[in-house]
Amino acid sequence: MKVPVVCPYCGVGCRLYIEQTPSGYRLDYADDVPGIPNENGSLCPKGNAVLDLLSKDRLRKPLKAKEEGKFVEVSWGEAIKEVAERLREIARDDPNGLMFFGSAKTYNEPNYLVQKLARMLGTNNIDHCARLCHSSTVAGLKAVFGAGAMTNTYRDIERADVIMIWGHNYAETHPVGFRYVIKAKERGARVIVVDPRYTRTAWFSDIFLQLYPGTDIALANGLMHVIIKHGLHDKEFVERRTVGFQELKKTVEKYTPERVEEITGVPAELIEEAAVTFAKAENAVVTWAMGLTQSVHGYDNVRAVATLIAITGHIGKPGNGASPMRGQNNVQGACDLGVLPNVFPGYQAVTDEEKRMFFEEFWGTELSGEVGLTTVEATHEALKGRLKAYYIVGENPVISEANSKNAVKALRRLEFLVVQDIFPTETTRLADIVLPATSMLENEGSLTNTERRVQWSFKAIEPPGEARPDWWIVSEVGKALGFTGSGPKGFNYRSAEDVLREINACTPQYRGITPERLKANLAGIHWPCPSEDHPGTPLLYTERFLTPDGKAHLAAVEHRPPAETPDDEYPLILTTTRYVGHFHTLTMTGRSELLRKRWREPFLEVHPGDARRFGLEDNGWALIETRRGRYAARVKVTKAVKPGVVAIPWHWGANVLTNDVLDPVSKIPDTKACACRVKPVGEVEARRILEELRAEGVVA
Amino acid sequence: MSGILIDPGKCIACRACEVACEREHGRSFITVFEFESSAVPLNCRHCEKAPCIEACPTGALFRDKDGAVMVDVKKCIGCEVCLLACPFGIPEIAGKVMVKCDLCPERRAEGKLPLCVQTCPTGALSYVEPNDFSAGRRKAYAERLALRRSENAPGL
Repeated sequence: MKVPVVCPYCGVGCRLYIEQTPSGYRLDYADDVPGIPNENGSLCPKGNAVLDLLSKDRLRKPLKAKEEGKFVEVSWGEAIKEVAERLREIARDDPNGLMFFGSAKTYNEPNYLVQKLARMLGTNNIDHCARLCHSSTVAGLKAVFGAGAMTNTYRDIERADVIMIWGHNYAETHPVGFRYVIKAKERGARVIVVDPRYTRTAWFSDIFLQLYPGTDIALANGLMHVIIKHGLHDKEFVERRTVGFQELKKTVEKYTPERVEEITGVPAELIEEAAVTFAKAENAVVTWAMGLTQSVHGYDNVRAVATLIAITGHIGKPGNGASPMRGQNNVQGACDLGVLPNVFPGYQAVTDEEKRMFFEEFWGTELSGEVGLTTVEATHEALKGRLKAYYIVGENPVISEANSKNAVKALRRLEFLVVQDIFPTETTRLADIVLPATSMLENEGSLTNTERRVQWSFKAIEPPGEARPDWWIVSEVGKALGFTGSGPKGFNYRSAEDVLREINACTPQYRGITPERLKANLAGIHWPCPSEDHPGTPLLYTERFLTPDGKAHLAAVEHRPPAETPDDEYPLILTTTRYVGHFHTLTMTGRSELLRKRWREPFLEVHPGDARRFGLEDNGWALIETRRGRYAARVKVTKAVKPGVVAIPWHWGANVLTNDVLDPVSKIPDTKACACRVKPVGEVEARRILEELRAEGVVA
Repeated sequence: MSGILIDPGKCIACRACEVACEREHGRSFITVFEFESSAVPLNCRHCEKAPCIEACPTGALFRDKDGAVMVDVKKCIGCEVCLLACPFGIPEIAGKVMVKCDLCPERRAEGKLPLCVQTCPTGALSYVEPNDFSAGRRKAYAERLALRRSENAPGL
C-alpha cells in the first residue's frame, strides 16, 4: 500500500508516496494527485533522498547525561518524570526562567502543544527558528498589510507577467517551486533578480540587480523613486487602499538612481529599467527569502518591499502578491499555532486582554500577558544566568544561531536542557535529557506550507526503537506536570486528530480545517478557512487588508548600512548561502550518502580580483576571520560574487563567523552581511582549525 | 519511439535526476554538468542509428520493444569498443561489463516515465516522441507570434 506523506524538507510541501515492500521501503512520485504543490509529483534531490532518514544512528531510547555528551539510556517513565520535575521546580520560582523552542520541522499538533505547555506553566518564553529566517517578514508584512503570511499561491507566480525575486536563490532553495517561475517565463513573463550573487536563479533573469549585501532599502527606495517620478504607481489603488503616500514620496525623492547606484553598486540604468518593468506589468509577484530578511534592518527591508508592491497595486488579485518563501516544511504552521512569544494560536496577541481571557477560560488556567523571549534574546538571558531551563524540540541552535560559539556558551550555562530530536546533533551533546522523537514519515499530522496550504501527512514507516511522536512526548510531559484536566484543560490526547480538533476550536483561521477534511483531500486547504463548509482562501486581501483600518500602511524608511561595514582590519563583506542538496544544519541531509557525495564541503566564493589581492588560489584553502570567530574553507574563484564580497554556505557551521546583532523589531540577527578578512592557508592547517571547531561542537 | 529530450535552458543543476537514478540503480546514468551560467544534464540518447550497437562485436547491445538501447550483461565482454564509438561518452565500465541508462524498463512496463524525467522539478527533461515534441514547439511558436499581433490590435 502506498502511503501519501508530505516531504520533510522545504516549505513547498511536496507530496510523495512511501510504500513498504518485502525488502524495505521505497519512494514513489505522487503523479496522480491533482492540485498538489508539486505538479506531476516531481521532487528535488532532498525529496528524492528522504528514505535516507532511516539511517542507523537515529535516537532510539531516552537518554540521560552523566556528564556533557556522555549518556545512559533510561526508560520513558524516568525521562518524562525527570523533565517534569525539573521544569516544575524552576517554574515554581519563576516561570520566566523557562524557555521553550518549538519546531518548524514537526507537525502543527506538537507545535500547538509545546506553546500550550509553556503558557500553562506561566510563561510566554516560546519561539522557534522562524526567528532566524522570517521573523522580519512576519513583523514587516503585518505592519504594512496586517498579517505576516504569503498573500498568494504558487499558481499566482505562474500567472504573473513580471516576477521579482529578491534576496532569494529560488532555484536552489525551492527547486520544485521554481517550476512555476519557469512556466511563467515560457509564457513570456520577465524575471527580475535582486541578489549579491549571480545565482542559479539569476541565470533565469531578464534584469539582474547585483547589490551589495545589506543595501536593500536603498534599492527599494530607488525603484519607488523612479516609479513615482514617472507617475507609474497605481494611483487609484494608492488613493483607495493605502495610507502614507505623501510621506513615502518625500522620503524616496532623495533616492535618485545615481545615488542608489553609489550605495548598492547597481547601475542606475538597470534600476530605471527594473522599476518601469515592474510597475508597468499587468500582473507582478515579488518573492523573497533570507537575503532580504536576515538583516539588522530586516523589518524595514520587508516594509520597503511591501510598500513597493502596494504602490504598484500588485496585490489582492490573481497573478499578483507578496510571496515570502519559507525554508522549512512547517514554518508557517509553527507561526500560525502561536509558537511565538507574543501571540497565542491564530496570531491573537498575548497582550490583548480579551484574547487572553478566552485562552484562560479555554485552557482553564491563568496566563501571562507579558511578551516572552525570542530565541536570540534567550541566548543572551542564559549567558546572564537569568534563564535556567530550555526545552528544545527538533532544532539545532548550535549550528543555526548567528555567532554560534556564543550560543554554545549560553546552553552550557543552563541548569537544565532537554532536547527532543530524531538524530544526535551538536545541540543534543549539551543536553541533560534527550528524548527520541519520530521523523515526519513515522507519524501523522497536519502541516502548513509556504502558501498557507494545510495538508495531512500519514504514517508510512515504523519508528526505530522506542522513538515516539512529538505530540505524544509533549502530552506525556504535560500530564506529568499535573495538567490532567479534561478536554482542552489538560493533555489527555489519544491521537494527533484530537489535538487538531482542539486547534480548530481556538484558532479562527483553522476553524474549518478538520482532520476529516484534510484526510479526504490530499491537496489540502488554504487558511483562512473559518468554517467546515468554507473552501479555504488561496488569495488574500482582495477587498481589504487586515490592518485595523483595512488599508495598506506604506512605510517611508531610510537606508542604513549593515551593522558591520568593511574597514582596514576586515576589508570584505561576508554573506552566507545554501546548497540545493543540503538542508539547514545537516542534521538530516548530512546523513544521506546520495546527497553528501554530491555536496561534499563548503566553498568560499571569491571574486578573481579579490583572490589576487589576498593571494587566494582556486581550489586552495582560505582562513576566514571575523570579530566573532574563524573558519576555514576551500576557495572557489568566481565572478558570481562582486569584488569586495565573499560568500559561503552555512550548513557546516559558518555561523561561528556571523554577527548576532539584532533587528530591534523582529529580533532577527544580521546573518547575511558582516565584515571579514581572508588569507591563504595550507590544507593541513585548515583541517586542523576545522577539527578544533568540531571539538568545540560548533561545526558539523 | 519516445526519447528523453533535454532542454538545458530549463536545468537548474539541482541534480534531482542523478539522485533519483542512483537511488534506483545504485549509480547514476545521468550526469549534470554545471557551468558559470547554465547547466547541461546528459544521459544516453538511445540513438536511432546507435553507433554502440553497430560497434559491439558480441551483439551484447540490443534494442528493446520501446526502442531503448540495452546491454545483455551475459554477452558483454568489456572490450570497451562501445566507449570509443559513442559520440557522447555515455558507456561506462562497471566491474567487467558496460553499464548505461536503460530508460527504466520496469517503469515503462507500468506506463510510467523514466525516473529522471518523472522527478525533474523544472521540466528540463521530457520523455516524448520527437515528432510530437517538434509539433508542440511549432504550435507554441506560432501562438507567440499570433499573440504579438493581437496585443497591438485594438478592441481584442
